[in-house]
Amino acid sequence: MKQTPDLQHIQEKMKAGTLTLKGFLGDDTRTLSDIIAADELIVASRGLSHEQIAAKLADLTERGRDLMEGEVELDGRFRVSVRDDRGKLPSPWGDGRFEKGDTVLVELTTGRTWRWNQLTLHLVKNHGFYGGQGSDYRLDPQEMIALLGL
Amino acid sequence: MTEVFTSVFILTSISLVLVLLLLIAEYFFANYGECTIDINKGERVLKVQGGNSLLRTLSETKLFLPSGCGGRGSCGTCKCKVVSGVGQVLPTEIPYLNPTELKENVRLACQVKVKQNVQIEVPEELLSVKEFETVIEKYVPLTHDIRGLRFKLPEGETVKFKAGQFVNLVSEPYGDVTESTSRAYSISSAPSDNKALELIIRLVPNGIVTTYVFEHLKEGAKAKLIGPYGEFFLRDSDREIICIAGGSGLAPIRSIVLDMIDRGISNRKCTFFFGAVNVRDVYYVDEFKALEAKHPWFKFVPALSGKEEGHGFERGLITDVVARHYGTLDNHEAYLCGSPGMIGACVKVLTGKGLPENRVFYDKFS
Repeated sequence: MKQTPDLQHIQEKMKAGTLTLKGFLGDDTRTLSDIIAADELIVASRGLSHEQIAAKLADLTERGRDLMEGEVELDGRFRVSVRDDRGKLPSPWGDGRFEKGDTVLVELTTGRTWRWNQLTLHLVKNHGFYGGQGSDYRLDPQEMIALLGL
Repeated sequence: MTEVFTSVFILTSISLVLVLLLLIAEYFFANYGECTIDINKGERVLKVQGGNSLLRTLSETKLFLPSGCGGRGSCGTCKCKVVSGVGQVLPTEIPYLNPTELKENVRLACQVKVKQNVQIEVPEELLSVKEFETVIEKYVPLTHDIRGLRFKLPEGETVKFKAGQFVNLVSEPYGDVTESTSRAYSISSAPSDNKALELIIRLVPNGIVTTYVFEHLKEGAKAKLIGPYGEFFLRDSDREIICIAGGSGLAPIRSIVLDMIDRGISNRKCTFFFGAVNVRDVYYVDEFKALEAKHPWFKFVPALSGKEEGHGFERGLITDVVARHYGTLDNHEAYLCGSPGMIGACVKVLTGKGLPENRVFYDKFS
């Protein structure tokens, strides 16, 4: 995958302080094309699609969504809460605005935590972007596949 | 080594000269001169210098369209109908415009450049939107992640708004944030308190403006507000009122209740259901309980959905609590403020009890 001028422009918008306070890239120094390509390799090698991973995460959000920020234990494995925040987040790809409001997922046995919002899911599903290394919103596909039992 | 430095120096110099030439060329050849902007068929006609975006040009003449991203084309809120004088819709606008808007020549003002005379149409109420250079008079922690701020207007200035409306708070550049950014917050004070504006702001993870509020604002600091905006306000009728909110959604409801008191509206029963998870998330209880004690038509019902015991509030999701309180809703109006999920769940409960959907008014956090 090539780092096109378009991708370079998108990567600029992903920097901290542009669309969100901490941005989308964490401390990842790779190009956006390399980040996407590396994650694509993992997902494809397992015979999965980005849509499948995003759908599973969206399902967890939906199951915690009606509780108005209350926590819920799901499948005896996770604790999930969904925040109600005002406003929408723009996609760095310029293809829409997505509700803020993080879903926070805690794995009960390890205490490990992941967070995502509607924009994160859109980026996974439609652009194969799982966040840069070190980003608070990184959903490492290898971890996600194991965690979600895909 | 010297050769490398010389080459770099020559290349840099050539680039600088080219940039300079481009700037000079833009100054002389891309000078669009004076243009007029006709607003609402001659209701207001502005003479402006061409060359800037419509959003920026309008704001320089103190006409403020709503904008959440400071004109970067990433929020899609600065929409207005452009009747004539601009080119084709740009690819950067398309994701934010639905088919009806495209058909009706609605454009993003931040993406449209003023190069000639332009005719636009904007909602009437936007013509009274103003920019206020305020000073923070009070900064109060209301909960662990919610702050109450009172912004004092400049001496001699007043603000006119309807209870329930919102303003945009503009944050200045800080840290990695290199540009001013603005976000919408509902006004929590009463319209009669017109020499100041109060806002209730909850910290949003990774949020540019809320982090600015929490880490950079304090009493005595200056802050810019633009507004008022919004269609969420109390409708004139004699129906009983149901208000439902969670988190910082309490703000417009507080304004509405305080306004009812100021206007002497005592013939309409009003019940305010405030939903939270834990005791630490509840605030303004004393104030609302005091209002309840003083005004028999007002009732405050805080409810907690978490597992904590002994708090004395109602228990359960706010939707369940509302459902428990009412039978058939045949002469009611509802005013809701919260996330789309919360609004959706409340609308389902209310309409399920017979309340027509056109009597449910909401400020969806979006």
